Amino acid sequence: MALLEVSGLTRDFGGLRAVSNLSFNVETGEILGLIGPNGAGKTTVFNLITGFLRPTVGDVRLEGDSIVGLKPHAITRRGIARTFQIVKPFPHLTACRNVALAALVRLDTHAQARSEAMHVLEQVGLDDKLNKPASDLTISDQKRMEIARALATHPKLLLLDEPLGGLNTREVQDACDLIQKIRAGGVTVVLVEHVMKAIMRISDRVVVMRQGEKIADGTPSQVVNDPAVQAAYFGKRVA
Amino acid sequence: MKRALPVVAAILLLTLPLGVSNQFFLHLGITVLMWTTLGVAWNLLGGYGGQVSFGHASFFGVGAYTTMILYLSYGLAPWYGMLVGGVVGALLSLPIGFICFRLRGPYFSLATLAVAEIVRLVALNWEQLTAGPMGLLITSLPQVTLFGNAINWERKEPFFLIVALLALCTMFAATLLTRARLGSYLLAIREDEDAAESIGIDTTRAKLAALAASAFFTGVAGGFYGLYFRYVDPDAVFPISLSIEMVFIAVVGGLRTVAGPVVGAVFLTVIAELFREHFAVGHLIFYGLFMMLVIRFLPEGIWGRALRILAWRH
Amino acid sequence: METFFQSLVSGVLTGSLYAMIGVGLTIIFGVMRIINLAHGEMVMLGMFGAYWSYTLWKVDPFVSVILWVPLMFLAGMFIYRFLLKPIVTGDELNSLLYTAGLSLLIANLALFAWTGDYRTLNLPYAVEPLRPFGIAVPVPLGIAFVLAAFITAALYLFLTRTDVGRAVRATSQNPEAAALMGIQVERIAMITFGLGTALAAAAGVLLVPSLYLYPTVGEILIVKCFVIVVLGGLGSVPGAILGGILLGLVESLGAVYVSVAYKDTIGFIIFLAVLLFRPQGLFGAARA
Repeated sequence: MALLEVSGLTRDFGGLRAVSNLSFNVETGEILGLIGPNGAGKTTVFNLITGFLRPTVGDVRLEGDSIVGLKPHAITRRGIARTFQIVKPFPHLTACRNVALAALVRLDTHAQARSEAMHVLEQVGLDDKLNKPASDLTISDQKRMEIARALATHPKLLLLDEPLGGLNTREVQDACDLIQKIRAGGVTVVLVEHVMKAIMRISDRVVVMRQGEKIADGTPSQVVNDPAVQAAYFGKRVA
Repeated sequence: MKRALPVVAAILLLTLPLGVSNQFFLHLGITVLMWTTLGVAWNLLGGYGGQVSFGHASFFGVGAYTTMILYLSYGLAPWYGMLVGGVVGALLSLPIGFICFRLRGPYFSLATLAVAEIVRLVALNWEQLTAGPMGLLITSLPQVTLFGNAINWERKEPFFLIVALLALCTMFAATLLTRARLGSYLLAIREDEDAAESIGIDTTRAKLAALAASAFFTGVAGGFYGLYFRYVDPDAVFPISLSIEMVFIAVVGGLRTVAGPVVGAVFLTVIAELFREHFAVGHLIFYGLFMMLVIRFLPEGIWGRALRILAWRH
Repeated sequence: METFFQSLVSGVLTGSLYAMIGVGLTIIFGVMRIINLAHGEMVMLGMFGAYWSYTLWKVDPFVSVILWVPLMFLAGMFIYRFLLKPIVTGDELNSLLYTAGLSLLIANLALFAWTGDYRTLNLPYAVEPLRPFGIAVPVPLGIAFVLAAFITAALYLFLTRTDVGRAVRATSQNPEAAALMGIQVERIAMITFGLGTALAAAAGVLLVPSLYLYPTVGEILIVKCFVIVVLGGLGSVPGAILGGILLGLVESLGAVYVSVAYKDTIGFIIFLAVLLFRPQGLFGAARA
């Protein structure tokens, strides 16, 4: 059984069909890339999986149980954590407090939450910035902190929405290393990204979306050579 | 030393009537303490939770009317009735919260305003229950003897003690809440509600809890109003201006701390009451003026800014 | 059946004035994203202006409106420039609280200056209502309706036919794009606030022969105004007009067919329903 099963997922906004009959699986332990041109519906898919939006039609199953209709906090408690395309830290709180709040939901005392937070922040490489207010961190560090905060909920599945956006080459490399380290730690990862080189390099499989529909699903090399994918990105005529 | 300070202040407050017998001064103190209770109660939801309610008068009024009705129709002494009033307020807050929490920011605020107006209109028109615009009147309070002496309800001292106790309890509850898990959850919600939801916090439940606690103390304060003034009508306990004054006290004083609304209540109420002694109307000029000044220059409120200045010095 | 038409007409007449107040509030929100809680006080000031100019100088309110509209336009611009501009950039909740403070300040200054006594302005020619087709139309309300329609039509022409008017609409739809197009957004904001204030004050002037006047009248009016504006869609002028007339009708018909007591409640229930189920109102753009 796959860790996450998305079947027939559809979401309409008035007359606009943002996601159309989307189906794919996420296997335990893999890194799945979700790519597609702008407006393909990728963030909407994340919002649908995590309960921020309800599907018009379709099902999402985590370890066999349907999670459609559950509120986001319930889905997080079941084991799916996420980051946001535009970082959403708790701006006035320190990095440590940001992550500790996430840990507190699972743990009993403030002290336990704090020590968990420090541990996770160390794992993502932010241990020197524990007491900085989140709004004072660089974007790259804020994204890292958001990942730490998501990890503090001990998820089975981590959804990363454009974690590499706005990062320079060095930062992209560091982030990719972190993602692989996270997977090695036992967390399954799905990431939405635009930075092609990175996503093709670290993903085990890739799902390609266009205008709300899935147009390809396979290993990076399979997907790259798929004519439908090429057409989506480069237009019909490809040299 | 720092921990002893609130305890010392509380003791001073409770023993004040022993030293002070000026009835006007005691009345001023009662008014300040009642508004302190209201400000701290409102702040549980408004400052800590970040949900600015313009409809808290509905809980105040419900508490007042519950207390009056239970005493006048069933003989339940108002000091017990007050507590029931608080519970009724808290119960009322649940459906209100359920409706209004679907909205965010200013839309939530406007919705609470609309709901409070509906409650007021119901109270105004449901004459069998509330006697409508005529209001309810207590002509005599029950005989109570304490330590062998009969309490003299004609003097302000007993009321001062009751409301001081209420204010202290409210502040204590607020302090406990901020230290508890709920306090952390509310902090997260205030910072970013969606992010809070995404880390597993049931934001609706947390907001409802804060609202219920806030409504409880507001309702008890309403009950006290009935006990002290002995006359309650819809215009006195349900008006929009009362809700707005609660907001102002908390914002002007400072939203993020328990002490903020206390400072706001003392500051605004004293100025308003002194003004009211000399001029019949218009005391709310200062509320308006200070609200504008605070939003413009002191967003953390008077106490918030004071704390920052004090922290700086160290 | 006659009662039905009577209350229909009354509803439309009162509704047209509600509509004018609502249009003022909605254009301010559209351009500056400020929920102006002091808007009711602008109506009150218009009412008092007309009252004093009648009581002291015997000028008929339907004439003094010519004076008060431009005066309040300037006052509105002044208020924007010196009191509101510094806080406009903050979040919506802050400006809500700030205008709440302004509202309290103005209302209480008025209370202090003019006392809380209820006042009325009784026009000598207004005693007997007109009776077109057997339906009673109070004279002042009838004249007010005609003038309100005229002013609203003038506003419509302004917004669609003049450059400044078009700039106002552009800024209302997208301030950043408007700025990029060379529109001086700050100037437009000031003009819009002046315009909104003038509309509110004009409504006040036109209403004063028909309503009780007291300094805190703004409190009830602003709440009704919100119902109208949310119903019609925040920022939409046609929405506010329709919303105003609809509210007038709901109150009028509600008073006759439901109960006088609960007629105001209906408006609030509609308000809540719109906020919950169709927050963009009838005509507003759907918000993310």
